[in-house]
Amino acid sequence: MSVAIKSAIDDGVIEELRAIMGDDDRVLPNISARVNRTRVPAPFPVHRWAEYMPDVAVLPRTAEEVSEVVKLANRMRIPVVPRAGGTGLSDGAVPLRGGICVDVKLMNAIGEIDLVDRTVTVGPGINMLKLNEALRPHGVFYPDDPASYPCSLVGGRIGTGGWSLLGARFGHTRDLVVSMQVVLPTGEIAQIGDGGGRKLRKSSTGLTLKQLFTGHQGTLGITTEATLELFPRPEVEFSAFFAFDDYMKAHRTTGALTRSGLATLAGVVLFDEWKLRYLRRDDEAYIPQPESVRAVVAVALYGTRAEVEPASGRVMEIGRADGGRYLGDEISQGDWASRHDRYATPLHGRSLDGQAVPMSWHCEDAALNYSVLPQVREEWHAIVARYRERYGVFDDWGMFAYTNAAHKPWGDYLVEIDVGIWEQRLDDETWAAWVRCKREIAEVSLSHGGSITACHGATRAGDAELVPTEMGSAWPVVLAIKRALDPNNIMNPGKQCLDEAYR
Amino acid sequence: MSIFRLGDQRPPEPQRIDDDVVMRFEHVYEVDPEKMRTFPQQDMPAWDTHRIVAARWDHLDWMHDHFADAVLPAGLESETMPTEEEQ
Repeated sequence: MSVAIKSAIDDGVIEELRAIMGDDDRVLPNISARVNRTRVPAPFPVHRWAEYMPDVAVLPRTAEEVSEVVKLANRMRIPVVPRAGGTGLSDGAVPLRGGICVDVKLMNAIGEIDLVDRTVTVGPGINMLKLNEALRPHGVFYPDDPASYPCSLVGGRIGTGGWSLLGARFGHTRDLVVSMQVVLPTGEIAQIGDGGGRKLRKSSTGLTLKQLFTGHQGTLGITTEATLELFPRPEVEFSAFFAFDDYMKAHRTTGALTRSGLATLAGVVLFDEWKLRYLRRDDEAYIPQPESVRAVVAVALYGTRAEVEPASGRVMEIGRADGGRYLGDEISQGDWASRHDRYATPLHGRSLDGQAVPMSWHCEDAALNYSVLPQVREEWHAIVARYRERYGVFDDWGMFAYTNAAHKPWGDYLVEIDVGIWEQRLDDETWAAWVRCKREIAEVSLSHGGSITACHGATRAGDAELVPTEMGSAWPVVLAIKRALDPNNIMNPGKQCLDEAYR
Repeated sequence: MSIFRLGDQRPPEPQRIDDDVVMRFEHVYEVDPEKMRTFPQQDMPAWDTHRIVAARWDHLDWMHDHFADAVLPAGLESETMPTEEEQ
């Protein structure tokens, strides 16, 4: 079967793209435009940058332009990689075979704000922070809140199937998208939702397609418009951080908070001992804390004052019931606010001799059940310690566990281990070592009944090759869907082992 | 060439906090300069340090404001830090 191969782009293709866009400034074959659309913030094999560059970037303004670009690519068997904010942590927007980068940043219009049926319709290039600034005068907000809140874009959130810090209360991206318009890999434009309604949250007509087009990492199409959920803007926020001298006390308190039944509970975060050691070394809020602070539980409530005020008292009771000590208003409020914007944090780690060196942030995530968190943490840290000791370019920055299920915070967690990587020292040997390290971490997740990613996507080497294993008996279904929708494998080829659909 | 634009804004000598950290201004921490030999610490005038710290608090207030009309405090001090009487 014929499938897309690395770059069939020549001057003729560039001219066709210019004819489609009708504007030479929105077709960018120049080196700087391509270099800047190569990597994402996750640590990257910088010594092999050229291997991951697109051959040309385009900046469409309409779904029709996207459709024509994709039809051209499908006809010519040219890879297409959609890119929104480029803030993902798992290389979803990184081209593996060159081709056309469809950058949706100019598709950033806010359309209808429907305060009666409670939706807002936007282009995929809008950022949540900017959207909420426009929504605020109407007393509503869109609560999708990743650590990249000020810089990620709605289209990327849909493509990634992202997780939200406030998801326990309001839901995650897939719960917050009511419907969307998608350009399919063959160029047709389809309206995807529940049944046929653009603003319906629940329908039993036909097949439920919305989930299929959320979290596919750009392998099934390009979202060109989205109709999103609107919530009443919260009157108040309450956040509280509790310190523990023992991880298991913090683990039990996390479970108790998630089972509290408090409807305004937006999220609970568990910091482990390695995270506290890192913070006490390098974070101004925790540097002065005594050694007895070995684990932390953070919790936040959002809603009306009438709901949140009494609930905050209950949170204080639960947080202190098993030896928790309140960290004070300043840390509770300041640290919680910083969780909306982790990308603003300058990063450095430690070399083996203790020197501070610039490091990039790798956030390896998984979805894991509550019961296995203590054991997984031991196994993950042991893996990273082994690679740090051997190669000297990695640093263990500790683990967080965040409530993961929308509206049901008790069962499973987005679990991450943050690893600093000294990118400037990467070469083929150390990059290969890092991929092995990632794979070992992912294998631990699978061995404990988890998923190799809750949020970022399984599109990086080290994760991607395990997708068929995790999908198990559903893997042939996945391949059949990919082959049916994308007969020439043009959409983000090479990701998640989906090339197997064409063998 | 010195980057100091205000010579009299040279920061005070650091006070050691622990094995990894020193402090020149209250609650403003720095990596121990001895641990910055591979990548030497740049000179920072005092005004620039104060500007960065203030901007950080402005940023956090601005973030709060995006998500709710008001922040409800527990109204309690830290239970992990020694009180002034204990210090």
